[in-house]
Amino acid sequence: MSDSPPPTLTDDQRRTRFEAEALPHLDRLYAAAMRYTRNPADAEDLVQETMAKAYRSFHQYRPGTNLRAWLYRVLHTTYVSMYRKAQRRPQESPQEEIDDFSFYDQLTQAGGGSAERAVLDAITDDVVKQALADLPEPFRVAVYLADVEGFAYKEIAEIMDTPIGTVMSRLHRGRKALHRALASYASAHGLLADAEVEEPS
Amino acid sequence: MSAEIRQDVADLIARARGDAILPGAACGPACEEALLRLEAYLDGELPDVEVTAVADHLTACFPCTDRASFEQALRTIIRRSCAEQAPPGLLERVRLRLEQA
Repeated sequence: MSDSPPPTLTDDQRRTRFEAEALPHLDRLYAAAMRYTRNPADAEDLVQETMAKAYRSFHQYRPGTNLRAWLYRVLHTTYVSMYRKAQRRPQESPQEEIDDFSFYDQLTQAGGGSAERAVLDAITDDVVKQALADLPEPFRVAVYLADVEGFAYKEIAEIMDTPIGTVMSRLHRGRKALHRALASYASAHGLLADAEVEEPS
Repeated sequence: MSAEIRQDVADLIARARGDAILPGAACGPACEEALLRLEAYLDGELPDVEVTAVADHLTACFPCTDRASFEQALRTIIRRSCAEQAPPGLLERVRLRLEQA
């Protein structure tokens, strides 16, 4: 069924379908664009450009397949063409030894169950957003697509145009780095009093 | 079931399997096996046969269940934090772009 060629739509039909099916994703795409660009003005530009591009290539979208994943794919490629070229710095990655980090172990050393609620309550939305923003882009995007959007590894691989193994490694290391940043925050606020959380050097 | 009883059951099962029981950590080979797969398990990306093994272990092992719930709680916090609404007017600006396309 999904192998059949996309039906040819009149301009009116395309417009109506796009408005009904794609536009409801606007808030989510904006939240994603905020994680990509890390500022509201660029996020708005990115969403507008993404929607314009998605509309132009809507004939390539196969009805019945995953529209949401397709829109994120368009968002990702649009971001790459608009912004990544402008970045001259190389793609950094979190340091190697981060693989061993465990927020849970830090927490249990600091007193276990009673500390857990206090630590989780202390982590506000802004703290998470900042910790995500501090991650290098490929790690930030992988973690966002998995943890926030709930995409499967295979979908993330398609959105980011990378092998699935790369997705898994970025997710693993990105989460570790994110958890370390959140643990550092909890530690700095006296919530992991007995545990030493090493600051990333 | 209380945490203590769950831990006792976990210890019994671990002993029956010949796993070492470390006080507090309860970290034997069975735990290591399960924790290696925990990330993919929580992501819903494990093959069915392995899902059963991890789920069985989590049912029996309180420390691993506790660790899994903490990981899950972190994911919930991360998801909640990133809920955002497009600024007012963006939808209209997008519609305008579509008209010009």
